[in-house]
Amino acid sequence: METDNKPKLAVALDKYSTPVSVLVGAIIIALALTYSGGTLPQQGVAANPGQPQPDAAAVQKQLENIAPVTAEDHVRGNPDAPVVIVEYSDTECPFCKRFHPTMLQVMNEYGADGKVAWVYRHFPLDQLHKKARTEAVALECAGDQGGDDAFWKYTDRLYEVTPSNDGLEASQLPKIAGEVGLDVAAFNTCLTSGKFDAHVEADAKNASATGGSGTPWSVIIGKNGKKYPLSGAQPYESVKQLVDLALQGK
Amino acid sequence: MLFQAGKKVFRNPAYVLGALVVSLAVFALAVLLPNSGLIGIVASSPDIPLSQKLGIPLSLLGSIITNFTILSALSTIAIAMLFGINVALVVYFLRRKIGEVKQMGITNGFLGITSGIVGIGCAACGSLLLTSVLSLFGASSILAFLPLAGGEFSILAVILLVISTHTIAKQIQQPGTCNV
Repeated sequence: METDNKPKLAVALDKYSTPVSVLVGAIIIALALTYSGGTLPQQGVAANPGQPQPDAAAVQKQLENIAPVTAEDHVRGNPDAPVVIVEYSDTECPFCKRFHPTMLQVMNEYGADGKVAWVYRHFPLDQLHKKARTEAVALECAGDQGGDDAFWKYTDRLYEVTPSNDGLEASQLPKIAGEVGLDVAAFNTCLTSGKFDAHVEADAKNASATGGSGTPWSVIIGKNGKKYPLSGAQPYESVKQLVDLALQGK
Repeated sequence: MLFQAGKKVFRNPAYVLGALVVSLAVFALAVLLPNSGLIGIVASSPDIPLSQKLGIPLSLLGSIITNFTILSALSTIAIAMLFGINVALVVYFLRRKIGEVKQMGITNGFLGITSGIVGIGCAACGSLLLTSVLSLFGASSILAFLPLAGGEFSILAVILLVISTHTIAKQIQQPGTCNV
């Protein structure tokens, strides 16, 4: 027989090459479907698409882990607004940069008459963006010096200038501080002091505890306390529909 | 070859419809999966009217523009389209194969059909199942080491689906006889 003269490896290759190549192909296509979404996965936590999806009750249970809004948080808009959007974000994530104007649009429409408050929390994805944690501290230092007004001015400007994906030079951080009217020397001292390291870490841990596995990760809290999770830089229309639901108390 | 096989299969509107439905399903799956938790909450809430239950997932489909890079958006659309075409060709091929098996009077043709799927190289089949299994192997941890953060898989997937579709088309064009 023809195969009698073939080496064992060649015989095995003949026998298994097709099913093995199909299996490898299937894995690659599945990986493509899993990771085609823009939301960036957190270090050590599988991205949402690849995880066995928990049911609605389990998701809601996780959302109950959200830390209450305190004086340590940075609130844009009416602090007593019936709807609160808590956003966990990474300043070097390109999708967070893209989502920032969407949130500004939400605040333009719903924030002016006090219907929605925007709470910003940190969720630096260290494995992907090595600069994000320092930038999160920079945001806190801005807030420490000038209150929420300075915090938001600094945040808006940073998202405006960063090219994302660790593209922002460290030298830009004090420069932005100067632009928004902060004391640059005091800002630099704060940046290296370690004063806000624990705060940033607590925010990141809380993001994971609520079910966040990538950025941007948002939780929309309605006036009746019902919570809706939103993963990724979703279109304004989606956020608007969820805000309307939350305002109706549904 | 591909064009001729496509002409043969897609002259039946049922295959066009099937390919379209599969393509749309794959597209929706890829785009909506990150927010399946939200969709589950909205769908299971008795207070939310049907219009909003449908409106929210539909609006989330817009994230193909806001939550994808150009590369990942294009590859997701290409994968969805090729996936639909691939499945339609496989179904056509299998139906023909089942007909042949019946004609030959073989009752337990299951193995023949299964080997048909594997033999024609349908990489698309089964990949949806694997999607939910991947996290078990911690596949996301490798993304940090890839320059395109996973975009490589999309490019490879498109290439594989083109090869797979070509292979099936070739099989469809072959006459259903045993070659000497």
